[in-house]
Amino acid sequence: MFAYVVRRLIYALPILIGVNLITFALFFVVNTPDDMARLQLGVKRVTPEAIAKWKAERGYDKPLLWNANADGAGKLSETIFYAKSVRMFALDFGRADDGRDIAREIRRRMGPSLAIALPVFVLGLWATVSFALVLVFFRATAFDLAGTVFCVAMMSVSGLFYIIGGQWLLSKVWHLAPISGYGEGIDRVKFLILPVLIGVIGGIGSGTRWYRTLFLEEIGRDYVRTARAKGLSEHVVLFRHVLKNAMIPILTGVVVVIPTLFMGSLLTESFFGIPGLGSYTIEAINAQDFAVVRAMVFIGAALYILGLLLTDLSYTWVDPRVRLE
Amino acid sequence: MTLLSARNLSVRIGAAHPVADVSFDIAAGETFALLGESGCGKSMTALALMRLLPDAARIDGGTVTLADVDLFALSEAEMRRQRGRQAAMIFQEPATSLNPVLTVGQQIGESLALHRRLRGQPAREAGVELLRAVGIPDPRRRWDEYPFQLSGGMKQRAMIAMALAGEPRLLIADEPTTALDVTIQAQVLDLLADLQKARGMALLLISHDLGVVARMADRIGVMYAGQLVEVAERAAFFARPAHPYAQKLFAALPDAKARNGRLATIPGQVPPLDTHFAGCRFAERCAAVMEVCRHQPPPWFEPVAGQRVRCHLYAESVVSRPTEAAAETEMPAVAAAANGETILDVVDLKVHFPIRRGLFRRVVGHVRAVDGVSLTLAPGRTLALVGESGCGKTTLGKAVLQLIAPSAGRVRYRGVELCGLPPKTLRGARAGMQMVFQDPYGSLNPRMRVGDIVAEGMQALRLPGDHRVRVNDLLQQVGLAAAMADRFPHEFSGGQRQRIAIARALAVDPRLLICDEPTSALDVSVQAQILNLLRDLRASLGLAYLFITHNIAVVDYLADEVAVMYLGRIVERGTAEEILRNPRHPYTVALIAAVPRVDGVRGEVLSVAGDMPSPANPPSGCHFHPRCPQAMERCRSEYPGETGVSATRVVRCHLYD
Amino acid sequence: MIEFKPVLLWSDILLFVLLGLTLSGAYASWRSEPMRRQWQRLGRNAAGMAAAMVLSFFIVVGVLDSLHYRARLPAQGDTAPVYGVEVLSVLDALLMPLKTNSEKTYSAPLAMRLFAKEAVEGEVGRDFPRLRYGGAHLGDDEENHGWDVAVQVLGGLGASMAIWLALAWRLRGGGPGRAAVRWSLLLLCLAAGPTIALAAHYHVLGTDKVGQDVLYLALKSIRTGLLIGTLTTLVTLPLAVLLGILAGYAGGWLDDAIQYVYTTLNSIPGVLLIAAAVLMMQVVIDTHPDWFSTAAERADARLLALCFILGMTSWTGLARLLRGETLKLRELDYVQAAQAFGVSRRAIMLRHILPNVSHIVLIALVMDFSSLVLAEAVLSYVGIGVDPTTISFGTMINAARMELAREPMVWWSLVAAFSFMFALVLAANLFADAVRDAFDPRAAQ
Repeated sequence: MFAYVVRRLIYALPILIGVNLITFALFFVVNTPDDMARLQLGVKRVTPEAIAKWKAERGYDKPLLWNANADGAGKLSETIFYAKSVRMFALDFGRADDGRDIAREIRRRMGPSLAIALPVFVLGLWATVSFALVLVFFRATAFDLAGTVFCVAMMSVSGLFYIIGGQWLLSKVWHLAPISGYGEGIDRVKFLILPVLIGVIGGIGSGTRWYRTLFLEEIGRDYVRTARAKGLSEHVVLFRHVLKNAMIPILTGVVVVIPTLFMGSLLTESFFGIPGLGSYTIEAINAQDFAVVRAMVFIGAALYILGLLLTDLSYTWVDPRVRLE
Repeated sequence: MTLLSARNLSVRIGAAHPVADVSFDIAAGETFALLGESGCGKSMTALALMRLLPDAARIDGGTVTLADVDLFALSEAEMRRQRGRQAAMIFQEPATSLNPVLTVGQQIGESLALHRRLRGQPAREAGVELLRAVGIPDPRRRWDEYPFQLSGGMKQRAMIAMALAGEPRLLIADEPTTALDVTIQAQVLDLLADLQKARGMALLLISHDLGVVARMADRIGVMYAGQLVEVAERAAFFARPAHPYAQKLFAALPDAKARNGRLATIPGQVPPLDTHFAGCRFAERCAAVMEVCRHQPPPWFEPVAGQRVRCHLYAESVVSRPTEAAAETEMPAVAAAANGETILDVVDLKVHFPIRRGLFRRVVGHVRAVDGVSLTLAPGRTLALVGESGCGKTTLGKAVLQLIAPSAGRVRYRGVELCGLPPKTLRGARAGMQMVFQDPYGSLNPRMRVGDIVAEGMQALRLPGDHRVRVNDLLQQVGLAAAMADRFPHEFSGGQRQRIAIARALAVDPRLLICDEPTSALDVSVQAQILNLLRDLRASLGLAYLFITHNIAVVDYLADEVAVMYLGRIVERGTAEEILRNPRHPYTVALIAAVPRVDGVRGEVLSVAGDMPSPANPPSGCHFHPRCPQAMERCRSEYPGETGVSATRVVRCHLYD
Repeated sequence: MIEFKPVLLWSDILLFVLLGLTLSGAYASWRSEPMRRQWQRLGRNAAGMAAAMVLSFFIVVGVLDSLHYRARLPAQGDTAPVYGVEVLSVLDALLMPLKTNSEKTYSAPLAMRLFAKEAVEGEVGRDFPRLRYGGAHLGDDEENHGWDVAVQVLGGLGASMAIWLALAWRLRGGGPGRAAVRWSLLLLCLAAGPTIALAAHYHVLGTDKVGQDVLYLALKSIRTGLLIGTLTTLVTLPLAVLLGILAGYAGGWLDDAIQYVYTTLNSIPGVLLIAAAVLMMQVVIDTHPDWFSTAAERADARLLALCFILGMTSWTGLARLLRGETLKLRELDYVQAAQAFGVSRRAIMLRHILPNVSHIVLIALVMDFSSLVLAEAVLSYVGIGVDPTTISFGTMINAARMELAREPMVWWSLVAAFSFMFALVLAANLFADAVRDAFDPRAAQ
């Protein structure tokens, strides 16, 4: 087990390096820092001095990969690649355009992101799995058909509609929850209700359909027939035999997203004014703050890789056939 | 006393009737066998009795009474109380029929809790006792294990234990040993017979295998196209089957008696289930068909007491009745070359697959799938490679063809060394050897036309001549119409697909055909067609066959020489006559004794115990010693060398040193 | 005299290439009997055929909107013909009144007056000014507004029912699939008839902030959605098919390398990778204004770049699927039989593997379409989607959402965008389901 985790972590390293190289290429090779400076400063005021100043402020005034002017190890470390890409492995993300330390900002905003993403994840999983189980219990009936059609309709609606429609209906018409914002302490709960509710509803269509397919696939297997031949009732068959086997494909899709919950949701957070990582990313994109986007890409990838590892570990918990060596 | 009584049972799937008007009785303590080929509705009948039909299927009429309870009148909840308690069921595939994520104990415990209200320690005690009763060694440990930790035979035993947990009065066994090897099959059949005797249970056995039925049944019902066509006592049925279909089934069985003749075959195929039948369902394929058969369904006749048959031939007006269909035309004896020329020469061939573990995927061991095999085969001769699943025979076949790279050893085809040849050079040698595979559904590309499939080899090897013409000839040669070249595989039955696969192999004019269980996925009557074809081809083309199989009867019919394989090595080889009539190696003896015989006679030999060990970790010394009834001290430490028992026979056993 | 000069934007070319590929692929698979049976199975699926009808309406609109031209300006003397700067499409020509009849600012659907009060000339105080075009034929006769609308609707319904009856008569008989085609045609006719009748005199779906007709905007958005949903496949398809099959069949270091590439790409959260790539693309486009001669070309380049980026980030799932399937297929006996003949690897992959994974590819592509259409809206909303000048569902929603806070609310732009998108995506989803049911061998059992 331990050796397995170590091996997986070692495997993860080249992937993170790959991610790092991709981002470096995207941000510094496709466009030179000069291009970026020109874009940000606007076409009218571009003078060489302004560009130099812009670059110096952000630490882009170094060579990309090889600094011939520096001494010793500095030839490698006094470069953009080292300062902006390699340093990320030490969780040093530098400063955003507004001068704030990105790492600190990320730590501060993780909480609010999680406060939305975690309830959406848990409630959404519970709702979709339960709904799917109900549909499967009534499989091949009119209820099942209606449920399936409902799911397809739900998943054909744009996520933006759920947010805009939800805000309008629940906040403006029914005045059930504040339309947006964030608070402290117990106060924040009232700000969370709406985004969480909308998040859960938005995921019901595709989630339910997916789990229904999984359950139906399991229910056609031979061991289900054996279980029925024993005289077990349909709900014991469903909950004890089918659900436990379906956990394996369910976990494949579910566990991997758990670490990335920290990243928050771009849309929800920006619509509801939640000061989380999602809205941070959106603001950075709109302000073309490359340093922040770069940092978020790196963290997102690292969390995803962690999710893959957790997925594999979680198999040992539901599937006795899996032994990690 | 009648325990189960089915009357006019019918099952409908859409427009099709997989079970039509089936009636039979089973007395308490009796074994009733439903016999029939695939698609005849025997499994569907069993599922209908349990009301466990798949979602698409509906019970379309009839009644089933089990211990005086009308099963079809019960609510679903009441029916559930019958399942497992009055009637339990075991299925064909032990590998998929057990829940993979629950322990054996949990799965048996469910039944104990449900039917005997046992929970906790008492349940465990009762369950362990059940496992012991079905012959599972070390039952306390097995109780907490998962199905994947058990071998195939053990899984089936666990399934039986699970079925027994409710102490049912009727056990329905749906092809319980079809997925198992013969030696394991013999063990499981013995177990079922013993349990039945001990518990006074009735057994409904569903099987396609005449041998199994002969071994187990008190009475037999033969099914064809959804109907029962004959019901008889075992003795009467095996002495003289009455229905023309049943007679043909016997005549189609390959064995040594038929060696010099063609096997009887049934023309055509089982009709699709949605056919509307005006008369007898077998009429289209029946050799003794009369005018009345085509438009009037036959009633039941009872020509002999205790033997009822649904066939117009037994109406009193009919005078001449067919006796058993005799083997058909004599065939010319095969002129086998015996001048010492060899076509295939395999020396000390090894195929080892590495097992990797740990941080750096180090190789920690090898699966010795093929571990030092030597063979020779003369042109025009047939060598049967016999062994149970996992013994490495398929790997050996593929390694000979260089489809799997051998780890060591030599393969010479007509004196040309094939191992280690670069792909370009190897291609030239490929035409000489071809393969026919087991699964007729996996061996043809569903997206290609039959003509293109057959022509593929000719194109790949850039053979001269008009491929189109050659394809037409080949299709005719294997008994298909040339016009079929434009069709796609899905339009063909299993037997026809196997013919196409043979035509594809023949297209490049090989001298050696490696046949990997070519008939094991086919029904008996279709198997006979393919075996006849292979014999005809051998006679007309002078082909040599390396025939890989586990079916001893097929070996007896077709093979000149036999090599018996166990755990990657050949333990005995010789002529077919020598090996099959007078086996020497204890494994060969057990293997042949384990085959259930149609005459119901059982060999006087002890059947082997236990399962085949893993080729990744073979036992020390002779690989067979843990299962060998005659194992000696020496067998535990030393692998026996080759001993020549006669000019043509070699055995690797310390008994003959 | 040529009245126009055809303009071929890159996206038009690619769309027509894709259309051609699809049609020839459909023709080829129609000729292959096993595939044809699956198409026929699709043809018997009622929901699928109804969805296909609705989809084909969208496709026709999209294709009409992809036939671009520049109109000739009125001749001045004998000089060489001068063509307008604006790139128009056939759809624009058909909808010309809708395109040009813009009001001053917001007006509600079918309204005759503006939505906001303004100081009206010649009157004291502020009032809702009369629209320039909406209901102009009624003049000052505003009393008859409701009556006129009803008459137009009835007229449109009558005309469309007549057309439908003629069509339904032509398409009579047949199985459930054919019946579904008839009913979905009825639905389309019922929606289109009154809309067309009304659109001649009113803004059926109102106007937006700058007075543009919302119906026109919604129709123009269809092309953008279609392009994003389909052109992306030109990137994903070759990458996924080639790399997926290669990894699965070749194994060894090639498999390791391909797996590494797609795991790496996959590990970057999709939106972020797209955001980063789009930001960089914007920089490239903005720093090279000289590459594009018209605004249309620039918007077009940005649209294509977005497709490219979406494609680069979304091929990994399909590639992984195909790799897994190839691993299974290569162990099948017919592949082994081909190997026994010494058939080359390339031929085995082309002849034995590719045709037997084609249903997976088809299903994946159809399924991806709807998620791509939805993604466009989100990305454009976030600001990393299409060019702000490109009319799309995303830009429509983005422009309209600020107006939600108004009292009373300006709801029609949003509702129009969301309903058009919903119809498109729902049809695509239903069609995808039908395709899966028809082509997935497991579903066929």
